[in-house]
Amino acid sequence: MSNLTIRGARKAYGATVALRRGDLDLREGEVHVLIGSNGSGKSTLCKIVSGSVRPDAGEVLIDGKTVSIDGPRAARALGLATFYQELSLAAHRTVAENISLPELPGKGGFFVDRERLNGIAERYIRRFADVAGEGFSADARVEHLREDQRQLVEIMKTLATEAPILIFDEPTSSLDRSQVERFFEVLRELKAQGRAIIFISHRMDEIFAIGDRVTVIRDGETVGTSLISETKPASIIHQMVGESELAVTNGAPPAAAEVKTEAVLSVAGLSAKGFVNVSFEVRRGEILGFGGLHGQGQSAVLRSIFGVNPTDQGTIHIKGEKRTIRSPREAIRCGLAYISGDRGRDGVVHGRPILENVTPIHFLRNKLSLVRPGSLRERAAKPLSALKTRFAGYDQPVNALSGGNQQKIVIARWLIDRPDVLLLDDPTKGIDLQAKTDLFALIRSLAAEGMGIVLYSSEDAELLANADRILVFNSGSVSRELTGADRTRYNLYHAAYEAA
Amino acid sequence: MSVEAAGKAEASRFSLTNLIRQPLLVALVLIVLLLALGEMLSPGFASPQQILRLLIVAALLGIVAAGQNLVILGGREGIDLSVGGIVSLSAIIAGNVMNGADSGILPAILACVAAGALFGTFNGIGVTLLRIPPLVMTLGMLGVLQGLLVVIRQGVPSGRAAPALSEFVTRPFLLGLPGIIWLWVLIGLLMAFLLRRTVFGYRVYAIGSNEQAAFLAGVPVRLIRISLFTLSGAFAGLAGLCLIGYAGSSFANVGELYMLPSIIAVVLGGTPLSGGKGGYTGTMAGAVLLVILQSILTTINIDESGRQMIFGATLLVLMLFYGRGRAMRA
Repeated sequence: MSNLTIRGARKAYGATVALRRGDLDLREGEVHVLIGSNGSGKSTLCKIVSGSVRPDAGEVLIDGKTVSIDGPRAARALGLATFYQELSLAAHRTVAENISLPELPGKGGFFVDRERLNGIAERYIRRFADVAGEGFSADARVEHLREDQRQLVEIMKTLATEAPILIFDEPTSSLDRSQVERFFEVLRELKAQGRAIIFISHRMDEIFAIGDRVTVIRDGETVGTSLISETKPASIIHQMVGESELAVTNGAPPAAAEVKTEAVLSVAGLSAKGFVNVSFEVRRGEILGFGGLHGQGQSAVLRSIFGVNPTDQGTIHIKGEKRTIRSPREAIRCGLAYISGDRGRDGVVHGRPILENVTPIHFLRNKLSLVRPGSLRERAAKPLSALKTRFAGYDQPVNALSGGNQQKIVIARWLIDRPDVLLLDDPTKGIDLQAKTDLFALIRSLAAEGMGIVLYSSEDAELLANADRILVFNSGSVSRELTGADRTRYNLYHAAYEAA
Repeated sequence: MSVEAAGKAEASRFSLTNLIRQPLLVALVLIVLLLALGEMLSPGFASPQQILRLLIVAALLGIVAAGQNLVILGGREGIDLSVGGIVSLSAIIAGNVMNGADSGILPAILACVAAGALFGTFNGIGVTLLRIPPLVMTLGMLGVLQGLLVVIRQGVPSGRAAPALSEFVTRPFLLGLPGIIWLWVLIGLLMAFLLRRTVFGYRVYAIGSNEQAAFLAGVPVRLIRISLFTLSGAFAGLAGLCLIGYAGSSFANVGELYMLPSIIAVVLGGTPLSGGKGGYTGTMAGAVLLVILQSILTTINIDESGRQMIFGATLLVLMLFYGRGRAMRA
């Protein structure tokens, strides 16, 4: 029941091919590591296995029989259970209830059998009892637990399904050393029972500690599978980068801009939810890149600087002056701009005319109270044309535009009155190639005019091509700074996976 | 993707279905049809005097609906169920402050608007700072106001309207129209100005259609939302004052009848309950339409409870047509 084979899986979202040819061969009694950079197709493949995404082509076999996984329920029925990275716990319920949430033990077809519920919970809690920390018990409410304890509940919930095939997507991100080791002990026991485990992690040491085999995915294709015992971190990273890429970028990373001006933004010892002790400086004319795998604290840092999320510790200086920023309003007044790639959530004012979409920052920075549409149109024209935005008129609803043009409208909003620092939070997510080119051309020219720019991009190629300096994030802190000729894909992955 | 597609279709195609999606136009056509229907049912229904009377009643409703409109535009399930209570309270305050004397008009206006604004501000604070859902907050406030009304009244007859106020509401003032209709027109112009030509108005639409984006763009989201509730209370207070001018003296819970119709007028006028789009011009048409409908129902001898049922059902049917643009809960 636990041999899973995927052959030639393909998945496209519109024109974007997320997975070109995904192959995976999972055997019973192994921990199989899945590894790939951002956008490699790793998570799409994982979603196909867990049933949350249906492939356009290719086949899935369990023990040699073709199956189709039509959704999470079907996946469960086929013996697959998935640990989700973004925790899916019921906060107001107890640990015991959460552990059995996928299949509550019933009584009389209607009532919950509380004895069995607690029995199941105790069985899993006991395994982690000495490492779980204070306050962790079967009847504790999840909302009162710490982050690492919640992650343990999520792990137990996955284990409690007793499924023959288990998929763990970044299960250790908040766990401490002893918790990880205990978790690995449990995984080894499961292996011995003949279960099959897919393991995704961004920590090379963990991969080498627990993995039996590793499958590398690059650009939507499975590159190959090797035995962990016969490979080493450097060669896995070589596989992720690809030979051709190695040859090209080893030669010459794009020349970094000559920057010798004062720091326009400096951050020291900044800590908050999602990252610890981050320090950096951005000078005028510089594009500072934030790199690494998704969700290692890059966005959280930008959002904290901008006053969206509270900061616990650290100082922020803007143009040499110490600032305490508690809200985006204050950040804007200090000369910061923040552009999120999630334009649907963070940018576009849906259904409203373009004019209303480009103006809010201008109103705030100039303390206006009356709207003069004529003068607004004139002011907005410059950034909009600099971005080569295509639109019919200022009264056109913003949703009538293409994704790329919508994003340009949102960006133009921030440029009508020039900010000193531009914080870009994965700004090109889901926009077309032309729009990306236009955007980066503009960003470079804004930098040349003296703006300081922080660019977080989940697209590594974009980052390598545009950033003068790159800070690589790993688990909420900067693991390495890449400058000059060091800005290669190899070094980026190396730092992202904390390879030894 | 679907939103983009819908937007494109709206911009390019002109068809009957698109025409039906223009709520203002639909409302105007319906007004004419309903007037004709009323005239058929009861000759004299659409006579000039009768239409004038309908317009006065519509103006009273329209003033309440102006505040309701603002709260709904602000989104996040914004709704003000307390307007009826504020209208009743304000009518009592107005009656007692004026007590039949013209000299009391100015103090009465100040007292009514201030009291309305005060209760509205409480609503706003509850909704923003205490994070109570608007439905619950304003319903609770309605309960408080109802209790307050019982305490205040205590069997004492509430005051009378000043003659000048009654005249303002019922007698022709300019071009054969009473002052209250001119007041309503003025409010209509001010609302249009507020929503289309002020930064405040732009921000109301911004928080109504994407609060997160507005927040990131430095819009003071809470302050705006509180002021919407404040304005709603103030408009209801003003309406209570005008109402006593129309009725002469205040009677029990006179304002209750405004809660549901004020919401229906807004939705009829093309502002979806999800907020972020629409405006006051449509609401004005909605108020007129609703008052005519009410009058027709009275003409065919449907009593108050029957009318309430019909209004409730109307709102639900409207939700089917206009409320589906976006899901109510994000």
